[in-house]
Amino acid sequence: MLNCLNGITSTAAALNAERIRMDVIAENIANAHTTRSADGKPYQRQQVVFETVLQNQPGNITGTPVSSVQVARIEADKHPPILVHNPGHPDADAHGMVAMPNVNVHQEMADMLVASRAFEANLAVVRNARSMALQSLSIGKRS
Amino acid sequence: MIEALFNQTNYAATKKVLDAAMLRHEAIAANLANVETPGYKRVDIATSFSSELNQAIAAHEPSRINALRPSLELDSRAVAGTRDGNNISLETELLNLQQNTLTHTVGTQLLSGALLKLRLAITGRSS
Repeated sequence: MLNCLNGITSTAAALNAERIRMDVIAENIANAHTTRSADGKPYQRQQVVFETVLQNQPGNITGTPVSSVQVARIEADKHPPILVHNPGHPDADAHGMVAMPNVNVHQEMADMLVASRAFEANLAVVRNARSMALQSLSIGKRS
Repeated sequence: MIEALFNQTNYAATKKVLDAAMLRHEAIAANLANVETPGYKRVDIATSFSSELNQAIAAHEPSRINALRPSLELDSRAVAGTRDGNNISLETELLNLQQNTLTHTVGTQLLSGALLKLRLAITGRSS
């Protein structure tokens, strides 16, 4: 296929990866108070791990290859659950302590802002690629 | 004979600048895609390219300009701002992106201008 928009593969992969990250953050915030998940334990915070993927290099270009990004895996946060004293809670133990998920909502909000800024930066790349492609197409046209 | 029209130094140099702008856009796209990847190192057009292009322009040798190939290399001057080894700065990269798009605009306008002048010379009409 004709590759009009340079770098579109990297950008598309990045938009996809940031979207997955936003989904995981949304899951964390939604489960910030879930004391009983499928395995009976409190919900554990999930986090995405990004990794670089080398792209197929066009034959006529030498030097360092350009790379794209992908979500390597989604991992559980190893921090222990937060214990809160609440004897009336159905999931309280013998001492009246309830194990709450290790999710910090403020941290999740900050992460969400970072993800959304990274998303916007990649959208700016597409916008610029588009305007460059349109200008290339108009070379030699009478203005 | 017609090749001579398209083999002037300025014309060849502008084409190379456009090639470099397209390649640099790909590098910036990769850099911005990996803005959150731990350990990622910034890539950019090889620093030798602009000096070689300048020398070839100064020497008025279109064949030398045409033989130049812009390539990418790891940017050794970028310093890591975070502890995860990633040396991309979002702001700098976005500035580079805008600057590169402007460079491309200048290149396309120069080429269009050259072609329009050629058309004027052939037809004698300005529009």
